[in-house]
Amino acid sequence: MSLAIPNGLDNTVERPGERAPLVLGDTTYHDITETVCRVAETKPSKGWVIGFLIAFALLQWLGICIAYLFYTGVGVWGNRSPIFWGWPIVNFVFWVGIGHAGTLISAILFLFRQEWRTSINRAAEAMTIFAVACAGTFPGIHVGRAWLAFWLAPYPSLNLWMWPQFRSPLLWDVFAVSTYGTVSLLFWYMGMVPDLATFRDRSKNKYRRMAYGILSLGWTGSSRHWIRYEKAYALLAAFAAPLVLSVHTIVSFDFAVSQVPGWHTTIFPPYFVAGAIFSGFAMVLTLMVPARSMLGLEKLITIRHLDNMCKIILATGSIVGLAYGTEFFIAWYGQVPDEQYAFINRAFGPYWWAYWTMITCNVISPQLFWVKKFRTTPWIIVLITIFVNIGMWFERFVIVVTSLSRDYLPSAWAYFSPTWVDWSMLIGSFGLFFTLFLLFCKLMPVINMAETKSTLAKQYHMAHNEPTTPTEH
Amino acid sequence: MSDDKNEKKIHGIVAEYTSVDTLLAACRRVRDAGYTKTDAYTPFAVHGIDKALGIKPTVLPWLALAGGLTGTCTALTMQIWMNGLNYPYIISGKPFVLSLPAFIPVAFELTILFASFCTFFGMWALNGLPRFSNPIFTDPRFDRVTDDRFFLYIDSKDKSFDAKGVEKLLGETGTEYINSVVDDDSPTTIPKFLIVGLCVLIGLSIIPALIVAKMRVTTSSQPRFHIFPDMDFSPARDAQQTTTLFADNRAMRPDVPGTVARGQMDADLNFLTGIDMDKFAQVDSDRAEQLVRTYLTPLAAEGEEPTAGAAASNEKSVMETTPWLEQNPLEISDAVVRQGQQQFNIYCSVCHGMDGRGNGLVNQRAQKIMAATWVPPSSLHQDVLYADQYPDGKLFNTISNGIRKMPGYAGQIKAKDRWAIVTYVRALQKSQNASMDLVPASEKSKVEKQKNQVDKALAEAAEAERKKEEERAAKAAAQK
Amino acid sequence: MSKHAPAIKPADDPAFKLPASLSALSLPLCIGGVLVLIVGWLIATYGVDQPKFGMSAYFAAFMYCLTLVLGSLFFVMIQHLVRAGWSAVLRRIAELVMIMIVPMAVLFLPIVVTLWTSDAALYRWDSPTFAQDNHLDPEMWANKTMWLSQDWFTVRACIYFAIWIGLAVYYFRGSVEQDETGERAATDRMQFWSGPAVMLYCGSMTFAMFDWVMSLAPMWFSTMFGVYLFAGSILSAHCILAVGAYLLQQAGAMRDEVTVEHYHDLGKLIFGFVTFWTYISFSQYLLIWYANIPEETEWLYHRQLGTWGTLSLALVFLHWMLPFLGTMSMYVRRRPRWIFFWAFYVLVMHYIDIYWMVMPEAHAGVPGAHGSAGGVLGVIASVLCVLGMVALMVGLILRVASQTRIVAVRDPRLAESIAFENI
Repeated sequence: MSLAIPNGLDNTVERPGERAPLVLGDTTYHDITETVCRVAETKPSKGWVIGFLIAFALLQWLGICIAYLFYTGVGVWGNRSPIFWGWPIVNFVFWVGIGHAGTLISAILFLFRQEWRTSINRAAEAMTIFAVACAGTFPGIHVGRAWLAFWLAPYPSLNLWMWPQFRSPLLWDVFAVSTYGTVSLLFWYMGMVPDLATFRDRSKNKYRRMAYGILSLGWTGSSRHWIRYEKAYALLAAFAAPLVLSVHTIVSFDFAVSQVPGWHTTIFPPYFVAGAIFSGFAMVLTLMVPARSMLGLEKLITIRHLDNMCKIILATGSIVGLAYGTEFFIAWYGQVPDEQYAFINRAFGPYWWAYWTMITCNVISPQLFWVKKFRTTPWIIVLITIFVNIGMWFERFVIVVTSLSRDYLPSAWAYFSPTWVDWSMLIGSFGLFFTLFLLFCKLMPVINMAETKSTLAKQYHMAHNEPTTPTEH
Repeated sequence: MSDDKNEKKIHGIVAEYTSVDTLLAACRRVRDAGYTKTDAYTPFAVHGIDKALGIKPTVLPWLALAGGLTGTCTALTMQIWMNGLNYPYIISGKPFVLSLPAFIPVAFELTILFASFCTFFGMWALNGLPRFSNPIFTDPRFDRVTDDRFFLYIDSKDKSFDAKGVEKLLGETGTEYINSVVDDDSPTTIPKFLIVGLCVLIGLSIIPALIVAKMRVTTSSQPRFHIFPDMDFSPARDAQQTTTLFADNRAMRPDVPGTVARGQMDADLNFLTGIDMDKFAQVDSDRAEQLVRTYLTPLAAEGEEPTAGAAASNEKSVMETTPWLEQNPLEISDAVVRQGQQQFNIYCSVCHGMDGRGNGLVNQRAQKIMAATWVPPSSLHQDVLYADQYPDGKLFNTISNGIRKMPGYAGQIKAKDRWAIVTYVRALQKSQNASMDLVPASEKSKVEKQKNQVDKALAEAAEAERKKEEERAAKAAAQK
Repeated sequence: MSKHAPAIKPADDPAFKLPASLSALSLPLCIGGVLVLIVGWLIATYGVDQPKFGMSAYFAAFMYCLTLVLGSLFFVMIQHLVRAGWSAVLRRIAELVMIMIVPMAVLFLPIVVTLWTSDAALYRWDSPTFAQDNHLDPEMWANKTMWLSQDWFTVRACIYFAIWIGLAVYYFRGSVEQDETGERAATDRMQFWSGPAVMLYCGSMTFAMFDWVMSLAPMWFSTMFGVYLFAGSILSAHCILAVGAYLLQQAGAMRDEVTVEHYHDLGKLIFGFVTFWTYISFSQYLLIWYANIPEETEWLYHRQLGTWGTLSLALVFLHWMLPFLGTMSMYVRRRPRWIFFWAFYVLVMHYIDIYWMVMPEAHAGVPGAHGSAGGVLGVIASVLCVLGMVALMVGLILRVASQTRIVAVRDPRLAESIAFENI
């Protein structure tokens, strides 16, 4: 075990035929365990505590706003005829989109054998689940009488004796998002079990040992178990991959099956999916870049990981840009006056500022990632990805609000203005997200230790079998 | 290995390795030596170990497939039955049963969901987990299996198991640590605080259910307990109450300006007022405008016109300057006259009498009881009330709005019927001043015959009266 | 861990050469292909009593070959983009197919020529009376013909072909030159340009498909149409790799290099892209079906009449369900013979998909011809056209292959690819 890959090696450069290392430094299996467990075993840092307090306060604020909403009614929002969807749905689509990166990294990159996913997938999956939790909140409270939201479930009700309408895309959404949340949770938890067993075996404290012992289900690392476990993991990945696509596809159906100009476009499914991946990766980077240095994970989450994710952002950002262009072109080519008006109104109507914010942040800012320097400088990455997050929020705003505010009935046209409750809920949802994420950082293994070790094992293997070691510069 | 450990049942023997390669080599060796009940414990999945240990592939994919198919079938059956058969409900004109494209998204989701459940739970079940007490955990160095050490284990149930032989074999595989795995003698009872805590939790969680159950089986005169208001108590207001909801604080909302009542769209003001509004506007534009405004406010029900304020006043000058309609707007026909007669007999005759002479039953009664404030109704057969002096419109207005003691009948009689009454009154007036010239020639003889009969009958009656009078006079004289 | 990498054979090993038995087929295939193509076109033009049938049958065959070629081009670029290792041993097959973009450009000439010389021989918008016949608003039609005009259409076609030929030649030449020089920098260079290349490709592909296939129905539009055709092409590109590799191995080449692991991966990718194709086509159908707006449903409506209705349903079951179930099992994926079968099958289905897109438009606007496929003669003619063109392509591919190698022998990732094992 003496393969030394020095720190500071630029593992973003990969000579063809040789694979650059994904774990840096003179790292051993034990070092990986130490690095990851230290995060959860030491006392929280001052930064963590402050961050948590802020996030928790915002979460409380969200709770108060929801209580106020329940007590007063949905009139506290800015949703007015004809913009009945407004911010809650914008936030919903935004958060669901964020939630796509996790499962995408875990499942699709797994299926494509992209081994660099191993050190980022855990946090990304956690992020998925928390983002889906944020997303689920909004349609839940948007149904008006939120305490009757269970009517969405097809259960035999003695009082009503009727069923939900399965031809409605909004119901498809219920199934898609809840299935997605459930499967992501299973996937996340299953992936964590071996690492929770590591936590268990390292625990000095009896209660801690018991808690992690229960969570890790008595995992021993038996080979027979590993084989079924790996099979199950591959199967879940195979199920989760189309599931990821389906979720945002179905969210896009909410819009696209209708006849509202600007919504009814066949490119919506793949374009929404690309947008979701785009925003999801941006959020992963926004979180991981600071987390990696705060938690001391630089050897495991290397510059190469960041570089790869930036490339994915560049690719999906370009797809989204192409889709914007195609939409515009077809609106003109189709020569349907309503569609043409909808798109001209987007760009030059009363919401021009939202549209051009979206274009700047989503199409132009990721193009900076063509420059390698930007892909490998952490603070620039964070800056650009924050722009992407903003842009993707505005994309949903543009789609939801501009089309609704100017539909087929000019007498109903109106301008949407959010209320303070709208703002509070958007900010509060970030509180929910960060509270959960910070708790996760402290309580759960933030990096998939087992898989990272297996990557390291391959690295050893390659180093011992091939004449040229990747140590040379 | 100490002696006290030897007394316990040995489950198997475990050896520790520090690298994957030595472990794999050891596995192959053990497999080739004929051991089958073996297992390796590793911190991560080691590829190729299935071959090295001779582990068979798992049935998990089949479980997943079964789960997936179940999901598809469940979803399709559920949707078609619920939306197509049990509660058919048309949406977007899509078919009931064959809305297959719309059913596919949910079918897809449930396929994935069921397959994932089968995979997830199937994997744990096949692995025999969760299992919290495992003899292998007794090994003091086994904690490092989840860190960086690799273990090979040979179970004592293996048919060729022999402790010494196994230890020797393992000893040749590059291990530095060999140990026997013995029973787990750590306490197996669940800690008391856990049980107590669990009981308390269960107890607490039952309380809401109990409350609900109690409420469902007992009757109460109290209103239902409302957690959510659910718009059950709507803050409805009476018409005269105040509210803070509107700037003018009125709970009852006035009609929006320009509101048109039912049937009012084709209302003809001339018809409704009996006034020639065009002329009226020239003569007295203020009052005309006032009148128009009065009529444009919505009418509660057809035929219920409000009092035409100024027009109804008794000021002579006003009545005289108003340009009344000279002509009855109705097209006169037999049916109209009959309708007028019917309405006259119902509403007017009680005072004016069937013949219009002002001696109806009410008048007779008033005379009889000598009511002090009674103003006798006019006879309609006066020159001042004839059409040349009293235009049809004015007559209509009098019927509508009343005069002196006579109340307005706009509320009771529809405008059309009032015009019919006007028609009838004109006929009635004519009937009292008819000459034979008015009778058509063909009817003349008939009328004359009738007249003769009437005259004769009258003469006879007068004669009879006269005779009676004479007899009475004679009788009186006789008595004297 | 995995087995140790076998030694790579020297570059001049016969395993990397096109077997003589195959290279001998080149000329006969070319000549035969051209003849069959001409016969098919003649039957389609003069045997079927529909004015547009001849060019449509030719165009369906052209689009079929073009999508295969473009799919292969994308495959090559994406392998460079993601620095893929497993596929290095198969990449040359895709490169040989993608360089066929040059003859495809020549085969496009008849389409341009008919566009200029006759009215509405293929495209209905290419008729001065189209707006009048269909009672269209003249102002709207004037806007539309700003895009759909003979000269602008031709210019765009030149741009598309320029982009594709440029990309294909660049990647082909880079790879072939590396066979001789073996310099790693070539791979670095190709990787460097792969990002912009893919973007150029995506843009041109989208608009080319709008121009060529979507505008067959001039008033119809679907934003997803480019993606739909792209899904078909990338699917069939993987099928070509499987079919090509299998046939080459049968003929005795690269027997040790392409292993069951590669077939396994191709099987997975075929399975995945069959699903992707289904996803795209279902989404497009669902959105149009659900919203039910007349200007959109027209296209699908034609395809629900008569023979086309049957074909549409057949596509659901034969293009999706059958191959989906067929390639699901790992048992099948690890059997080269089965993968060859399914790849070949999907290639056939891909033609039916193209046929289903193109041919109904040959009858559009012809009274009473809705739902007909031009009779038995029409089907025979269409099949002859595509067989002829495919034969011509295969002949040309063999010709190019016999002058180069069938494996990128000095690719730096070749060793990794050969040693590659599925987990």
